[in-house]
Amino acid sequence: MKKVLILLISLVPFLSWSQIKYGDVTGAVGHREGSLSAMYTYAWQLGAKKKFEIGIAGRFTTYLGQNQYYITAPAKLTSGSTGPLVIFKENIAANIDTFLIQSPQVNALNIAIHLGYQVSNKISVGFNIDALGFSFGSKKSGSYINGVFGQQEQAKPTAFNALLISDNDLGSLNSELFLKYQLKDNWGIKSGLQFLFTEYTTDTEVQQTPEPNSRFRDKSLLFAFGLYKNF
Amino acid sequence: MKKLSILIFVLALGCGVEEVTPTTPVDDNFMTGMATKINMGVIMGVNHTVSGTATIYEQDGKYTLVLDPFQSQNGPDLKVYLSKDIGAKTFIRLGVLKSTTGKQSYALPANINLSEYPYAHIWCEAFSVEFARAMLN
Repeated sequence: MKKVLILLISLVPFLSWSQIKYGDVTGAVGHREGSLSAMYTYAWQLGAKKKFEIGIAGRFTTYLGQNQYYITAPAKLTSGSTGPLVIFKENIAANIDTFLIQSPQVNALNIAIHLGYQVSNKISVGFNIDALGFSFGSKKSGSYINGVFGQQEQAKPTAFNALLISDNDLGSLNSELFLKYQLKDNWGIKSGLQFLFTEYTTDTEVQQTPEPNSRFRDKSLLFAFGLYKNF
Repeated sequence: MKKLSILIFVLALGCGVEEVTPTTPVDDNFMTGMATKINMGVIMGVNHTVSGTATIYEQDGKYTLVLDPFQSQNGPDLKVYLSKDIGAKTFIRLGVLKSTTGKQSYALPANINLSEYPYAHIWCEAFSVEFARAMLN
């Protein structure tokens, strides 16, 4: 009983919190691709010194690319299974085909999870990741490539987005690892890495082996820079 | 919003490095005199300056596409395709164009039904732009 009491008392500082709201606009660029995202975050600052942050956010991401090679998306094909251990499995190269899109453009509206830590008065680090939402965008033409064989086909962004585990993910999901620096009382700059999944679904199941598939994913690592404002 | 998107797109393009086809003349050692000519066609540029002849030969049960003579305008990511239709909706990739000039040969996959693939193309794969085609008769 005494131990439980001590444990509860030791947790008290972490059970106190305050709320913080802020918005940010981030641009990110990579090789022949880029994104622009706007995010509104509602977070709770935890701990005795309020250094830890956990929150939820809404994020709109628009992605533009040129000549991007999308690859087979479903985990069942890329890893041979769909369980939680798929994250540790090697890709099965023989099952992965390519869908080349000349001008991919995907828009995604997602609910995101936010984690942060206040390093100093002006500097904080954080991570966020989209969890659930939907995508939209116009139909694009592309080339399905399976070894020496190819076929032109139309595709649209996969409509439904969901964060699962590794290649079990569905649709287009954005995530960022960032550092923020406060310039003025209510605003500052952020910079970091953006890891963005975008996904297209072809009109027909162009991939037939080892089983029919119409979902193709692009994983983009982008350098991100943005501005944020506290509300 | 639109201007910002365009700016990001332009920046992203700036990061790209275009792969271009070698311009050093090639001369593949394919002995046409030892092979049987199956069909051939004149290569016509499609909005690009390309000329030459495409010929399919059979030798020891294997098919080879030979471009000879051949001269092409340069471009990024140029590939050699055979296709079932004039727009190359369904195609076979024979390989990366070896050079913009000179005699060059490309092996065809085994068991190919040549009557299903009457077109040869020089195709910019990355940008999905056709540079040239030949109808093989």
